[in-house]
Amino acid sequence: MRADAMHDEFVLQKRKFKFLRLMAYFKPFIPLLVLSVALALLVNAAILAKPYIIKLVIDDYIVAGNYDMGSIWLLGLLYFLMVLMGSVLGYMQTNILTYVGQKIMFNIRNQIFEHIQKMSMNFFDKNSTGRILIRVTTDVEALNELFSGVMVDLIRNFIMLAGIVIMIFTLDVRLAFVSISCVPIIAGIMVVYRIAARKNLIRMKGLLAKINGFLAENISGMKLVQIFNREKEKYEELRKLDGEYFKCSLREVILNSFSKPVVEIVNNLTIAVLVIFCMGRILEGSLEIGVLFAFIAYIKQFFEPISEISEKYTAIQSAIVSSERIFDILDKRDTQEDMMGGKPAGRLKGAIRFENVWFAYENEAWVLKDVSFSISPGETAAFVGATGSGKTTIISLIMRFYDIQKGRILIDGQDIREYRLEDLRKQITVVLQDVFLFAGDIKSNIRLNNSITDDEIECAARYVSADSFIESLPGKYDEEVKERGCTFSAGQKQLISFVRAVAFNPAVLVLDEATASIDTSTEQAIREAMSKISRNRTSIIIAHRLSTIRSADKILVMHKGRIRETGNHDELMALGGIYCRLCKAQTEGGDLPRIQQ
Amino acid sequence: MKGKQLLLVFIKEHKWSYIFGIFILLSTTLVNMTIPKILGEITDGLNSRNMLQEQVVKYVLLLLGVVFAVFVLKLIWRYLLIGNCRSLEVYLRDHLFKHMQTLPVSFYSNNRTGNLVAYAINDVQAVRMTFGFGSVNILDGIAATFISIFFMAGTINPVLTAMALAPVPVAVFVMVMIGRLIRDRFRKVQEAFAAISEKVQENISGIRVIKAFAQEKEEVDNFLKYSKRRVDTQMDLTRISALLGPCAQVCFGISFLLFIVYGSAQVIKGTITLGDYVAFNSYMMAIMGPVMNISRIIDVLQRGIASFRRLNEIFDTPAGIAQSEGEQDISGIYGGLEIRNLNFTYPGASRRALKNINIKLDSGKTLGILGKTGSGKTTLVNLLLRLYDVDDGHILIDGSDINSIPVDLLRESIGYVPQDNFLFSTTIRDNIEFFKNLYSDYEIEQAARISGVYDNIISFPEGFDTVVGERGVTLSGGQKQRISIARALVKKPSLFILDDSLSAVDTKTEEEILANIREHLKKRTGIIISHRVSTVKFADEIIVMDNGKIAERGSHEELLRLEGAYFSLYRAQNQQEAGA
Repeated sequence: MRADAMHDEFVLQKRKFKFLRLMAYFKPFIPLLVLSVALALLVNAAILAKPYIIKLVIDDYIVAGNYDMGSIWLLGLLYFLMVLMGSVLGYMQTNILTYVGQKIMFNIRNQIFEHIQKMSMNFFDKNSTGRILIRVTTDVEALNELFSGVMVDLIRNFIMLAGIVIMIFTLDVRLAFVSISCVPIIAGIMVVYRIAARKNLIRMKGLLAKINGFLAENISGMKLVQIFNREKEKYEELRKLDGEYFKCSLREVILNSFSKPVVEIVNNLTIAVLVIFCMGRILEGSLEIGVLFAFIAYIKQFFEPISEISEKYTAIQSAIVSSERIFDILDKRDTQEDMMGGKPAGRLKGAIRFENVWFAYENEAWVLKDVSFSISPGETAAFVGATGSGKTTIISLIMRFYDIQKGRILIDGQDIREYRLEDLRKQITVVLQDVFLFAGDIKSNIRLNNSITDDEIECAARYVSADSFIESLPGKYDEEVKERGCTFSAGQKQLISFVRAVAFNPAVLVLDEATASIDTSTEQAIREAMSKISRNRTSIIIAHRLSTIRSADKILVMHKGRIRETGNHDELMALGGIYCRLCKAQTEGGDLPRIQQ
Repeated sequence: MKGKQLLLVFIKEHKWSYIFGIFILLSTTLVNMTIPKILGEITDGLNSRNMLQEQVVKYVLLLLGVVFAVFVLKLIWRYLLIGNCRSLEVYLRDHLFKHMQTLPVSFYSNNRTGNLVAYAINDVQAVRMTFGFGSVNILDGIAATFISIFFMAGTINPVLTAMALAPVPVAVFVMVMIGRLIRDRFRKVQEAFAAISEKVQENISGIRVIKAFAQEKEEVDNFLKYSKRRVDTQMDLTRISALLGPCAQVCFGISFLLFIVYGSAQVIKGTITLGDYVAFNSYMMAIMGPVMNISRIIDVLQRGIASFRRLNEIFDTPAGIAQSEGEQDISGIYGGLEIRNLNFTYPGASRRALKNINIKLDSGKTLGILGKTGSGKTTLVNLLLRLYDVDDGHILIDGSDINSIPVDLLRESIGYVPQDNFLFSTTIRDNIEFFKNLYSDYEIEQAARISGVYDNIISFPEGFDTVVGERGVTLSGGQKQRISIARALVKKPSLFILDDSLSAVDTKTEEEILANIREHLKKRTGIIISHRVSTVKFADEIIVMDNGKIAERGSHEELLRLEGAYFSLYRAQNQQEAGA
């Protein structure tokens, strides 16, 4: 029990802290916020003045039979002036608060995005794209709701409530008490309704998410469902989900049907009580009838702010949840990469050395075990091994996507951790096996925000013989690249990524050979390009086909995280080990495309 | 069924609740509009001081009675009308999905999944909003306005009414114009938001490339532009949308000015009573509501219409295959296959995907199909699965035309392993038996053994009940492919089709699986598709496809002797692997 209480206390404190932290974003905008509160005061004053003006017209002129058209005109114009003032100032206030909200959003959104850019690969391994996406988009928008929507209305509504209370008490204290007495009833109804509605809404949203997921999966897999003749089963599954959703949906309709009308009933009940309460006084002439009119008008306005405030409750809740998620990411500083720290690298020569490297992505599940090797500048080294033997991990380590647990990685004789990360990565270029293209055009995909001229791009394309394919496109180098380059074949994407690699002119080139089935003619072009770009620089090839690497200076055979054999093709054949067996198997089998376990 | 017909059917089914609901809605508005009148009576009574307290109490009770009646009536019509449109939402989605199930493969390659899901969720909801919020508010607004005008002009004062309502048309016009601007700008806000989403998604998916080329700073700069656009578009929108309320207020402000000046004079002159004056004020308020709502209502209606049009496009897309005519009464399929002079062009395409295909495959034999991407291999399989109708040439199964075989029977008899290994995010067992409880545990395990995935499966703590996919275990490409194979095998199909489905397993496993399948295929007809010679060479007959035609055919040895495309492919692949 005690522990629970302490825990709750802790959570509460944390919440409070988060809220304060959110408020900190307001700081630069305090002058604007003060201005907007001042505007809200004036707007509310204008709104509250209107019933009072009509009360004056009724009591002082109509009831009194005072036919003073000049004064009536004056009051009418005053009424119109109030309307005008409320409208103009209200417009200004909305704009100011929207601006503040948007600016804060802008700051938070950019802060998260920048923060995410600095995260290490570990973070991206552990968090799905969808999850990160939601932090930067939906969660930020939920905060926007809090800043521009809720804050605006909350301030406005509270001022309005205070204003009404002041007005009715100045008009008539006794009547004011009578009117105020209904507030607890309204508040109670609101609370009960909100709790029920929220519970239902959460269920409804959950079901809708399920339906969404079901549809996404079943539309992707529609062909399979058709082929396996399971349309009926799948349809029934959706109908079941939809049936549950409908139940919740109908409950929402009924709940909504109660909420506003009930408030209206209480509202009218109050008016009825007011009438009964003051009829004696009006009939005996001790109360002006205009006061009753004004009271009725104020009471009608009284309930709007209350119901609006309670409506915002859900938005505030979800904004707080979103802010917690956003802060969770912003607080993850341990996995941040320091791009600019460390020594400037200068132009690297490209000597790579692994000394007794041990590495695990998680805990002690070693992916690399005591790996040592060295590659001299200008050499071509090839890694051979089954899937999961650790080849790809080596690339990630050379790029310093991850830090190793034991041993050292040296580039040009210096520990990789001492270099400035940005310099290091700019001089090592990787061509990954599944090539990622950004939406844009071919040029922008090659130069990637860097200042590489069109000439250099075309030159690079000619070098790897990608020019003929690119120039055959209708837009040539300006040809549009759609989302993830879906209009290009795997081979074409590979060629573009080669051009990118050459254009960057790196000291070290890492090639992760594609496993995807590419048609033979493209494959030929790709192999030629590969041999060309590995000339004159340190190159590391992760090979999936043995034919590509025969001419490599050094072949490293990996097995279960260890380097088992090292040497060139002839040496390894003479050794008669794993590599030799692999090659023989291929010659005998004739056409085994990949390497055996 | 077309979209419009679907709606008509729905409305007909719910005819009585609609009629009753609308009747109650109109009555509610009428009853509600008597409240100002009652308050006016009370005011008059109190003002003239000639009313007894009991009389006032009577009026107050009448007021409460009316309020309570309105409450109950509102509940009833909301339950009927809004409830109906909630039911419409589910009804439309179910029918949309049912229709989607009949659509051909090409439909799914032309439409992105995300968009189709949006149709079934967002567009269906927009239609619901039009039928619910939209039409209810129109009805209520029109009724409230006319009843108010009736009370104002008929029982209070026509001249005052005309004067007070003069600015209203201006207000309506302004609302409609501003509404149009808001829609445009709101679309831009949505586009800006979508652009941010796309940018972030791309950035995260390509994070390896970004990090590898140290592009983080540039990406952040780039992102600022998108982020800024979101702010700018929102401000553009707010500048206009925040005008909506104030404009209406000012227009009505003029009405109130005229009301105060002219109305007060009338009361003092005695043409109308103070109660009329107070009631008039309330009626003007009652008209203000619907007018200020106009732009929102128009917005909901337009969105609903646009959404309905989109849904209609899907409903209008014809089903992939025509309903079989002259279906024969066939009890089983044994797997004998004959293709005669088959030509095929994809709907909407200009080039023929298959040209003059002739194949004869006896029951129990295996056919190998070799060819490059785009040579027509998969098209042929699509036709065998009857994902498309054959109209030029014939496919005969056990001697009967494929068009005369009931589709369910045909597909039940084929065990198909697709190229892309798609698994549903449910248990492995569900993925193998595929959502229908037809097979014993032993049969499922046996299928997993043949496809070489049994050991992998039982190494998971939950075994065959392991959930795969996003919310469960992530499987490797090879594991997925082998589960796909088990899914086809468990059916014990008469015709087994392997569509280039072994690309993600290593060679040793591939050989094992092929050996298992060969054993399994002894009793069944098999079609094995690949772009590699090694996969198809054991087949009884091999055809080499090129550009939609059969370029070569024969057994492995015959084709080698031919020294044609097969031979050169064999040699190329040999050299490639052995290292030239």
